Amino acid sequence: MNLLNYVPGDSFLHKLNPVTKLAAAFMYGIAAILCNNVFAEIGFILLMLLISATAGLFKRALFLTRNLLFLGLIMFVIQLFFVRDGSPLLVIGGVVLFTTGGLKSALLLSLRVIAAMLPLMLLFAITRMNDLCNALVKRLHLPYRYAFIVTTAFRFVPIFATEFHDIQDAQKARGVDFDTKNIIRKIGLIAPLCVPLLVSSLKKVDVSAMSAEMRGFELRGYKSGYKEYPFAARDLVTIVVLVAIIVATVIFNTIW
Amino acid sequence: MIRFENVNFGYSEKRPILKDLSFHIPKGDFVALIGANGAGKSTISRLINGLLLPTEGHVYLNGKDTLKTPSSTLARDCGFLFQNPDRQICENTVKDEIAFSMKVQGWPEDRIKERAEQVLETFDLDPEWFPFSRSRGERQRIALASVLACEPELLILDEPTTGLDYLECIRIMDYVTGLNREKGITVLMVSHDMELVQSYARNVIVLNHGQIMGQGPTSEMMKNVDVLKKARVLPAQIPELALRFGDEFKDVFNVEEMLDALRKKSQRGGQV
Repeated sequence: MNLLNYVPGDSFLHKLNPVTKLAAAFMYGIAAILCNNVFAEIGFILLMLLISATAGLFKRALFLTRNLLFLGLIMFVIQLFFVRDGSPLLVIGGVVLFTTGGLKSALLLSLRVIAAMLPLMLLFAITRMNDLCNALVKRLHLPYRYAFIVTTAFRFVPIFATEFHDIQDAQKARGVDFDTKNIIRKIGLIAPLCVPLLVSSLKKVDVSAMSAEMRGFELRGYKSGYKEYPFAARDLVTIVVLVAIIVATVIFNTIW
Repeated sequence: MIRFENVNFGYSEKRPILKDLSFHIPKGDFVALIGANGAGKSTISRLINGLLLPTEGHVYLNGKDTLKTPSSTLARDCGFLFQNPDRQICENTVKDEIAFSMKVQGWPEDRIKERAEQVLETFDLDPEWFPFSRSRGERQRIALASVLACEPELLILDEPTTGLDYLECIRIMDYVTGLNREKGITVLMVSHDMELVQSYARNVIVLNHGQIMGQGPTSEMMKNVDVLKKARVLPAQIPELALRFGDEFKDVFNVEEMLDALRKKSQRGGQV
């Protein structure tokens, strides 16, 4: 499953203006970051799974959550061993391994990362990158050059993934053993993968730049696109709901 | 050398690429795999060196089952020249690039040095060249030199002459043919270029939708226009012209034979 692929659909989320979707994803992330309660963070994650189910993306959201859990786990371990607040929880041989404060902070941070990143990752499933780029230019008058940089960066991810796979095959065919368990040898094998990838990427940059210039890239402004991205009532409702969620989170933090 | 036994392969269950494929390529042969895009040519070449594994059946390279042998081990028997040399080149100088494959295959240092010098001379390459700034033809020559430095028993060429000019193409193919004739290296070439296949391959396997449509000597297969058309392959020009001229030209296969046949015909006062 490609984590950045657009999934076509006709749901409420799909129909939102791309600018609204981007703003909503960020606002949801902000609310999750502001939240100071472990159970509320779990609530944020469950709510996002529920919202994604309305757009037929429950499986995708679950898959994303599972992947983000791995990132969360790394954050959890780092926090657990480096935050020393509260009373000792595990002491071995007189050495405090982790504390109650460390455990709470680790749990909160790892859940916060998942809750904040999930909506941003799901944004790609409900928004075509071209639409996001065009809407940012059309509605927010963002210079096309910058919108193009962002969308191109995302568009190139699957291309580089394919290229990386092909390079790996080419090096395997020469006898490079990528399955080696020796860490030092594994590190040494980065060069035969990264050098061809870097060279092919630089070549692609040149070709892409020339191709863009030949299609009048420099002339493009916010009036150039033929597609309109009007805001509708549902966009206003979405933003109002998200503002309410942020306000509720702040109030919840102060009274809890 | 290569044996496919009832091989099935697909990138997904819904889209099978190869269906119950069985064939054998003996040691020392020069075989061309031809067919339209999506026929399964590149898939077959990647199954041989273990980059892909069959979903059913077995592929044997030199008696080794690819399901049980890692691709890094199969690489000792099988050199693979990709269409795009840039995916392979990873060192800063040509001499390091040539030595790279030998190093990863565990050759001793003194043997690597000796063999690298030999290969650089054979392929007319400057050891200090920065490979990435050379022309496409030179980069392809560097990649081939690096593959052949390890003295594989089988050489797989995946569209080896794409993007090369005529002289560079002839240079590479003549060298490969020489190795096949003199050292008995088995060559498997994937190509869309029927003129190239006709000029160099001894035998041909015609593929269509993952199945073999025909297999046999190049001179016979190139004249089997029905099979070639079914496999959506444009026949080489001389054999097709000979077929259109009729029975008198049925043994004509290349330009020289065509000239001879035309001369004989005109001496007899005949008209084509």
